[in-house]
Amino acid sequence: MIKLLRLELRKILTYKTFWVIIGLYFLFLASGIILAELIINSWVTNMNKQLPIPLPHITLYFFPDIWQNLAFFASIRYILIFPAIIVIILITNEFTFKTIRQNVVTGMSKNQFLASKLLFILMLSLCITIILKLGIFILGITHSEVTSFSQVITKTSFIPGFFILLLTFLVISFFFGFMLRNTGLAIAIFTLYVIIIEPVLSGVSKIPSLHLGNLSHYLPVNASLNVVEYPYLPVLKTIMGLRIQSSVSITDCLIPLLYSAVLIGIVFFVMAKKDL
Amino acid sequence: METVLSIQEISKRYGRIQAVNKLSTDVHKGQVFGLLGPNGSGKTTTLSMILGLIRSDSGAFTWFGEEPTNESRKRIGSVIESPNFYPYLSARQNLRIIADIKDKAPADIDRVLKLTDLFHRRKDKFKTFSFGMKQRLAIASALLGNPDVLILDEPTNGLDPQGIAQIRELILMIAKEGITIILASHLLDEVQKICTHVAVLDKGKKLFDGDVSEVLSISDSFELGCQEMDKLEPLLRTHPQFASLVPGPEKFVVTFLGKIDAAELNAFFYKQGIILSHIAERKRTLEQHFLELLHQNQ
Repeated sequence: MIKLLRLELRKILTYKTFWVIIGLYFLFLASGIILAELIINSWVTNMNKQLPIPLPHITLYFFPDIWQNLAFFASIRYILIFPAIIVIILITNEFTFKTIRQNVVTGMSKNQFLASKLLFILMLSLCITIILKLGIFILGITHSEVTSFSQVITKTSFIPGFFILLLTFLVISFFFGFMLRNTGLAIAIFTLYVIIIEPVLSGVSKIPSLHLGNLSHYLPVNASLNVVEYPYLPVLKTIMGLRIQSSVSITDCLIPLLYSAVLIGIVFFVMAKKDL
Repeated sequence: METVLSIQEISKRYGRIQAVNKLSTDVHKGQVFGLLGPNGSGKTTTLSMILGLIRSDSGAFTWFGEEPTNESRKRIGSVIESPNFYPYLSARQNLRIIADIKDKAPADIDRVLKLTDLFHRRKDKFKTFSFGMKQRLAIASALLGNPDVLILDEPTNGLDPQGIAQIRELILMIAKEGITIILASHLLDEVQKICTHVAVLDKGKKLFDGDVSEVLSISDSFELGCQEMDKLEPLLRTHPQFASLVPGPEKFVVTFLGKIDAAELNAFFYKQGIILSHIAERKRTLEQHFLELLHQNQ
């Protein structure tokens, strides 16, 4: 396993495109997290000019809520698309350069090749999660008055929750990469699906007369993004009768994990059947 | 003799085209085995099947007497079609990946780079290489870790004459070390120069296989002309290697069995008192050879 991961790193670490996209990702992620409070509060200030009872300004960076708040911002699909594009490029490159053929001829089995890509996805998800966790911890420590240890760790379940969410999202991009094999096509169709097709499907499924119930919760991207829910304004949520998520439960992770398993299964099956 | 590769009736069909049709053959240790056939005769498809890239529709093959797995491929060095490497990695980094997959020591990388005359470019990215250098890197990667078998698919395709000569020299050198070589080529001349054994393919079918000297024993033909053409023909028929003759007013086109060269022929006629005014060797195209092989086959 370590051998496969090392091989994957040899292919990536000197690849400029990888670093450019990773750089852009962290830039967007960091600025999203840092600017979120500013943007929301300026919006609140604007709204308050028209409202009889002013809304309170929010704070995103207090323990323990910071874990959920920032895990949610990190799960915005426009930001998640960056690591997904990296995964797609690294997979479709192997087809474009025909290096998958060379790898197999040299002595890799197709399953080992797929496993090496999955290990990379696992490692990338883990690294991003750890960096996010550290970032949140630092922001939290510098912004809140910590009174007890339990206050800091109460909502940390959102971190493993984010990990599952990211992993599933990247497995979906892994699926698109291996099915389409062409970089431009895979990125275009994946992005189209994540940003337009699924939101539209989800919107349509919510039309009451269609009686589709909770279908939108079961669409793959939605199902994974739902692991970390919309965090703040609990008052508003209570009024609207929505569930208030206080921690990530195993059941929240079940559907995305099931999707991951099925998509991975399909990729292994198709690759075993198809010629390279 | 130890069998390295044994193929039993493998077939592959692409839609209406039967790319490989019940092909069987054995390759033994130490052979330089040529897979000869025109473009589209199923050479690359055959190699792709025995290297695990495409699945055969039927039939089977074994490597080193065992069921083929990725482990058996680690003992094979191969150059298939175009050289495929990561363009943004250097020659060395690319070979490092190959060494990792094959479980071979990275210390061998410099040796194969020197062997293929790429050592001075080892730190340059693959994408900066000329086609000839890319091809040599592919050969370097195939040689990495001293494979038991070397598979080369049209190794001189697209190279300039100097590149072709370099690669052929290299192959002959490797063959001398006793490494089994399987070489696919559409160039009769190449197979004749390099191989000890040959299988001739056409439309996915094996027409013939055996020793190169046996299979390709018919020599090229000659154009012969002299002052007294009427004396030429009876004399020709007395030549021990004479095969056939196409008469013409000023010159004959004559085919001989086995190897014969112009000087030998000239001497033969000179001894009989005939001075040739025209002697020219006619290179036979592969197509003509095929027709003959087909004809013999029927």
